[in-house]
Amino acid sequence: MRKNCQKTNNRKEGKAKSDTVAYRLKCAKTANGLSHFVMYGDAPKEKAVL
Amino acid sequence: MRQKKRQYYEITVIARTLKRSEEAEAIPFLRLLRSPKAARNDSNLAKPGNLRGCRKERMVNQSEKGLTYHNIALKDNLIIDADNSFWAIPGEDGEGNPTIPRKALSLYENIRGDLDNQMNDFRFGANLTALYIDPTDRCNANCPYCYIPARIRKKGRSMTENELFFILEKAAKYFREQKRKAVIVFHAAEPLLVKDIIFKGIKKFNNDFKFGLQTNASLLEIDDVGFLREFQVGVGISLDYYSPKINNRLRPLDGGSGNFRAAIRAIEWFNGYEGMNVITTITKFNVTGLSGMIKFMHAKKVPCVLLNPVRLTQKNSRFLKPNEALMSRYFIKAVDKAIELSKKSGHRIIIGNFTNVILGIVAPTARRLMCDISPCGGGRCFLTITASGRMIPCGEFIGLKEFSGGNIFKSGIKEAMQSPSFKKVRERFVEKIEECKSCTLRNICGAPCPAELHSLGNMYKKAVFCEFYKKVVNHAFKLITTGEEKYCFRKQGLNNLEYEYKLLR
Repeated sequence: MRKNCQKTNNRKEGKAKSDTVAYRLKCAKTANGLSHFVMYGDAPKEKAVL
Repeated sequence: MRQKKRQYYEITVIARTLKRSEEAEAIPFLRLLRSPKAARNDSNLAKPGNLRGCRKERMVNQSEKGLTYHNIALKDNLIIDADNSFWAIPGEDGEGNPTIPRKALSLYENIRGDLDNQMNDFRFGANLTALYIDPTDRCNANCPYCYIPARIRKKGRSMTENELFFILEKAAKYFREQKRKAVIVFHAAEPLLVKDIIFKGIKKFNNDFKFGLQTNASLLEIDDVGFLREFQVGVGISLDYYSPKINNRLRPLDGGSGNFRAAIRAIEWFNGYEGMNVITTITKFNVTGLSGMIKFMHAKKVPCVLLNPVRLTQKNSRFLKPNEALMSRYFIKAVDKAIELSKKSGHRIIIGNFTNVILGIVAPTARRLMCDISPCGGGRCFLTITASGRMIPCGEFIGLKEFSGGNIFKSGIKEAMQSPSFKKVRERFVEKIEECKSCTLRNICGAPCPAELHSLGNMYKKAVFCEFYKKVVNHAFKLITTGEEKYCFRKQGLNNLEYEYKLLR
């Protein structure tokens, strides 16, 4: 029982030494400046339904 | 052995189980991979019978949804939901064991639906934003891998001024109705053979479109550079190597020599112009010199280079196919060289198609290079209009007659977008490709290219350079773990992005 408690405590105390990385970005304006279309300019992101 | 076996288990459910039963903030990463009981109890996963003693491939095939484990390298792993590109790279606890914080899993649970919808809209929305116009079918070069058949390049027609203006007028009307300012790219074969009408078009329709030009630069003059800069035209210059001998073998011009001298002269004239890029086609003849190419372009102040593996659409390009393992190694070396040079100097150089891979991971819906997305952008986000007015989903289809969406002199852009041949291209997406549907990287690589694979016999096959893409994506993840991915963006490009969510770093 004591052993189990100790394990749990260790888990609680076990703070990450290096951080997990998880993020996502989105376009604030357009994707201009990022890839293929940079070279050719860019267009707004509005979508049209076919 | 034990390590390998852990990879079999699907993580979503396991995470859910841990959420209920554990109190710790961080969960040891390996625990996530160690709960066969939880996996067996979940209806989304493989049936219990299948879990016992199954091979890795089979198990992965049965775990197509939710978070899965992905191995980047020997010691580096991550969890990823391939459908919406949510991913998390584990951190380490005090003892060096990989851990995932509980809030990463909670975050995933909370936003999973939204991310699925976003990705769905992005992939399946038809958002025509660019037209590639070939104002002439003719070319003064004979590149051995060209996707335009030689008979068209040498005997094809050129547009008249009236024809080009008719198309631009029609396109302007279409995009006005759509309330979008589109991009017009003058592309293959060699558009500067009809320089006069192109430049007149750019001037006349400057307010309607943004313009781009892809050229071998052989006909470019110094005054043209001033004009193109004034009208902020994006300019792509074709150059395959940093020495004339190899480049001119791959980019020979009519009359014997190649475009090396002209391309270098043009690059120097543009003198670091931010709208300039250089496109290099990777073949077996230049594959080992990719990082040398980056070094050379960096010294010439080129801001962006595209290192595109040769497409095998035309038969004559197939004997130029580079060795895939070599290409992976040297492409990654080139990426590292670009980062090293960008860090050291004030001038940043990016490899556009690698940046697009990074975007596929960190900002999937901000991607613009449409070859790495499934369905691809052909006939969806852009289309090509040939010199005879034929509308095709992408220039790569130019030699494939069955993919015509009509003629712009007789019908409209709307009709082309609704045509069966365009729909056929849009209907090809990774979930329908046997080899891709269970791949954790399926929405980062996009399994290009439908035209290439169609000409090789079956559009519903994985990418010709599948292993190359896997290695490149893994390298992108490695850069993200070290925070070096920021050097793969243009500075102004980064300013256009904002965080949708962010954990820790």
